[in-house]
Amino acid sequence: MSNVLLVDMEKCTGCKQCALACSLTKEDLFDPLRSRIKILKREKTAMSVQLLCEQCSGHPCTDACPEDALTRDEGTGIITVDADLCTGCGACAKVCPYHAIRLHPETEVPLICDLCGGDPYCVQHCVPEALMWVDETDERVKEKKKLRAARMAQYKSIIEES
Amino acid sequence: MYAHQGSILHVDLTEDKIWKEPLPEEWRKLYVGSRGINARLLWDYCKDPDITWDDPRNVIIYAPGAVTGTTAPASGRTSVTTVGCTTGLYLKSNMGGHWGAELKFAGYDHIVVHGEAERPSYIEINDDHVDIHEDTDLWGKDVLETDTYLKKKHGYDSKGLYIGPAGEKLVRGASIMGSCYHAAGRGGGAAVMGVKNLKAISVKGTKPIRVKDPKRFAEVAKEMRELLIEDSGAQGLHEHGTAGSMAGVNELHALPGKNWQTGHTENVYPITGQAVTEQGYLKRRVACFGCTIGCHRYSEIDEGPHAGIASGGPEYETLGALGNGPGLVDTEAVLILNEICNRLGLDTITAGTVVQWAIESYERGVLTKEDTDGLELGWGKLEETKEAIIKMAERDGSLGNLMGDGLKIATEQVGQESYKWAIMNSKGLEQSNVETRSAKAYALAFAVNPRGNDHLMTETFAEFGASPEAVEVIEKITGDKKYATPHSTEKRAEIVRWHEDCYEITEALGFCVFTSTAAFGVNPDNMARLYEAATGIEMDEETLMRTGRRVVTLEKAFNVTRGATRKHDDLPYRLMHEGAASGPLKGETNNPEELAKMLDRYYTLHEWDLKTSWPYRSTYEKLQLDDVADYLERFGRLPEE
Repeated sequence: MSNVLLVDMEKCTGCKQCALACSLTKEDLFDPLRSRIKILKREKTAMSVQLLCEQCSGHPCTDACPEDALTRDEGTGIITVDADLCTGCGACAKVCPYHAIRLHPETEVPLICDLCGGDPYCVQHCVPEALMWVDETDERVKEKKKLRAARMAQYKSIIEES
Repeated sequence: MYAHQGSILHVDLTEDKIWKEPLPEEWRKLYVGSRGINARLLWDYCKDPDITWDDPRNVIIYAPGAVTGTTAPASGRTSVTTVGCTTGLYLKSNMGGHWGAELKFAGYDHIVVHGEAERPSYIEINDDHVDIHEDTDLWGKDVLETDTYLKKKHGYDSKGLYIGPAGEKLVRGASIMGSCYHAAGRGGGAAVMGVKNLKAISVKGTKPIRVKDPKRFAEVAKEMRELLIEDSGAQGLHEHGTAGSMAGVNELHALPGKNWQTGHTENVYPITGQAVTEQGYLKRRVACFGCTIGCHRYSEIDEGPHAGIASGGPEYETLGALGNGPGLVDTEAVLILNEICNRLGLDTITAGTVVQWAIESYERGVLTKEDTDGLELGWGKLEETKEAIIKMAERDGSLGNLMGDGLKIATEQVGQESYKWAIMNSKGLEQSNVETRSAKAYALAFAVNPRGNDHLMTETFAEFGASPEAVEVIEKITGDKKYATPHSTEKRAEIVRWHEDCYEITEALGFCVFTSTAAFGVNPDNMARLYEAATGIEMDEETLMRTGRRVVTLEKAFNVTRGATRKHDDLPYRLMHEGAASGPLKGETNNPEELAKMLDRYYTLHEWDLKTSWPYRSTYEKLQLDDVADYLERFGRLPEE
């Protein structure tokens, strides 16, 4: 059975351990800007929104890429970037419906969560269990979508405010 | 450079000058980071005792820890160091939040601010781009308005450190506030910023932090994280915040009320962390940068006449100082007062301790209606307490000015033996809400604390033996579990001295002290291993603890330059002379004889002179502080061996 990553904004304390862990495992350094999971904060109300690749069925990112640098695994939905083909144009980031893609600050190659190949390193670091790596069932998939919708609504309100 | 970014930023507000200096490698070995290196910098720039808190030569130094910005759990804290305005002595205040990590990502380990701006100004840091902006529009804005204003200018993701109107008006209890609700609250650092005309420091950074051995670093960080997950203290802090312990403290008859005249309150529930959680005021559990505990809160009142009041907290200290203290055993009353203090930039501990003194003074007829600008102060009166606190923050009228100066000056001004019910010691800082009459290591730690009497330079919580981990710490220090009782005066000096060193290194690395001295996941052994993996500098437990001792001694030396002696290491008059009102230790005091015995032992352990409390030359030399001894010798401040 495969797993699904649940991301519950209500449980997040905004500590950014996930982003630090991601940059450590992927880049061998600590930098939230080089993480595949972004944490957007509204400091006034201590609210945090998590943005990361949702392995969505629409995946407009792959279609938007003029160089065919992005490929999608049909089974897992995971997007892989071919850094040799990528020109750093950012087209994928612009079309992502979940605002999940950011470009690497130096190479400009898109940073896209690949679930660490099936054992997300960030989850081990999330003590309040806002990130949960759980068995995939119909109910869990429904829950994932519900949690995501809440995050997107919050994202919209934060962006409008700023 | 690994772990540190290797750069100290200097900003001179008088000369409008900005420069950078490399972080000396030797300091990383001797002082580690943050609080330690800050103490060295303060010594180097301000050891001359003619430099008072409001002298333009006074510097204010801000620093995240050596491992801030990494996955080391709860390592995102910042130390602020300066000549304090409440005591005129050494001041270090430490804050959580995300500002320090952002400074590190901008490429700096420390900022040293020199001089005084001519007009209201703020500092903007964006990686290598650093600017001093003159901005008179900012003056007068409260903390939240300042946050909104600066985020509009410098980006939603910029992090700010601010003073409110209280800091601008040089209120001695004014606190430095980090965006949004974190505070370097104690000792009046915000007044130092106020006198420098420095309203804010806005920071944004994009530089990664590297560690020498990422694999080993991740292993030690994981060990710490897992120990904290298992720790009952850390679990409690997450669940109900610092105020989760309120009912337990009350059961011990150790919850100060009505200016330390009571220790137990009937129906204490409304001012417990549990009440904030269960009654729906708690909107979110919040963590500082990289913190896996998440003890901070965001709370709001939804309904009724006060709907919409929202802020960070309230913490244990706030529910104590502004709730139980002034007799306001009412959740919403504390939420209201907490929000005012956070907005105006006022330390809730000092605000509470000063207002309680004012209430008692009014009750005794020592303050008249003329002195209070017509306010009829009393216990359990929210509106009057609220007005008094706003007056204090804004130095409004006679009462506002009196309270704004803090207890040390206020008691001198009012006279009539009003020091007898002022809860501060000879150094002059208002005491935090710990009943030292029934916790003897706390009593000693409060007395010798270089910044005044509170729990935030040394936390000896382990003496309560509240968990198996706490008992283990006491056994490690004293050799026997039986000393894990707060009522004993035996081995308290040993307990305090160990905690001083441990607390110092915890801060120097950037960890929250809850991780090592309230919960027990971070300890000198795993900190030493982590520091070595992070920096590549060879380190073991003993060497690291020795850096702590070095810094504690340097901080002591700083106060020696200002003339502090043994007589400054005391406790509030009331606690030394009036017995606890109730409970198992009814009648117990921190009497001078008992304190003297503990002090003798404490100075002996430190190898400090018993008469003056000053360290000997040989003590400094053993800690590689020879230059400090040389300087003090010129002033005749080295005791004879």
